[in-house]
Formats: sequence, structure tokens, C-alpha cells
Amino acid sequence: MEGLSASEQREFQSRMERKQMKEFMGMFSNLVTHCFDSCVDNFTTKSLVQRETDCVSRCVQKFMAGSERIGQRFQEQQAQMMNQSPTGR
Amino acid sequence: MSMFGLGRPQPSSAEKIAAAEQEMDLITDMFNKLQQACMKKCIPREYREGEINKAEGVCIDRCASKFFDVQMKVSELLQAEAAAKGGAAGGGFGIGGM
Repeated sequence: MEGLSASEQREFQSRMERKQMKEFMGMFSNLVTHCFDSCVDNFTTKSLVQRETDCVSRCVQKFMAGSERIGQRFQEQQAQMMNQSPTGR
Repeated sequence: MSMFGLGRPQPSSAEKIAAAEQEMDLITDMFNKLQQACMKKCIPREYREGEINKAEGVCIDRCASKFFDVQMKVSELLQAEAAAKGGAAGGGFGIGGM
């Protein structure tokens, strides 16, 4: 990533932004599926009941918290790998 | 096209961007896989609380660490396999040395 000129950087950046949007949409749809599967299995009512709503809130909250924690570990790992091969990228 | 000895062929802009993009893709993909794997193994599907509790947190930390271990191990094994088979085929997987 280091050897890019300013205009290349810009092109790269805009591609990354598009990609992030796509990533986010994917994450959103996965999370919907996951929390729906985990929290909703009773179809005697038409709308979510309180218990299901609460479950979905906790599901999302927990996903975010877990995601953050995994992100930290991941970053540590990446940093460690960079240190191991200072000649590498 | 530059031939051997005339210095490395200069990668074009498009190639350089593609390479950077590919690297990002690899990292993103790795993170997503890690997340999927460890959430599945460490977070029970009954959502009685919204916070990550102690046990789940520890599980995630260990899971991540082991996931990386497995990644290294598989990479090593594949490289060994390739070396045994192809001898001087060179190249190989660069997963470990990112």
C-alpha cells in the first residue's frame, strides 16, 4: 500500500469506500438473519413481542461487543506479524 | 515489456491498486472468517444479556489465538507439502508472511 502515488491513493480510497459499503450491507444482512434465527421462533403474534424485541437488542449489542473484542485481537495479531517480518509489507 | 536484467518491470497503476486491493480483501476476509468462527463457538444463541460476559470474553480471546495458530499451522503444512512435491517450484503461499 505504501508505493502508491497520490492519484493512485485516491482511486484506492474510493474503491475501499465502495467495498466498505458492501461489507456493511453484508454484515447487516447476516446480523438480521442471525438475530432473527436466534430470537424469533413463535408465530402466534404478528409483531415482535417484548421478549423477542429485547432478545434482538441484546443480540445486536452482543454482536457489536464481540466484534470489537475480536477486532482488538486481530489487530494485535496483525501488528505482531508486521514486527516479525520488518522487511515484508 | 522489460526482459531479465533490465530491472524489474514497473507495475502499472492499475496493477498496483489491484495488489493493494487484494491485500485488503485478504485481511477483510480473514477477519470475517475469524469473527464468524469465534462468535459461533463462543457466543450462545440465547441472548439473556447484551454484554459479553467473562467466560465469553476469555473464550473469544483464546479462540482468536487458536484460529491464528491453525492458520500458521495450515500454512506451514501446505508449504511443506508443496516443497516436498515441487522441490524448487518456488512461490507458494504467502499467508504467513503478510
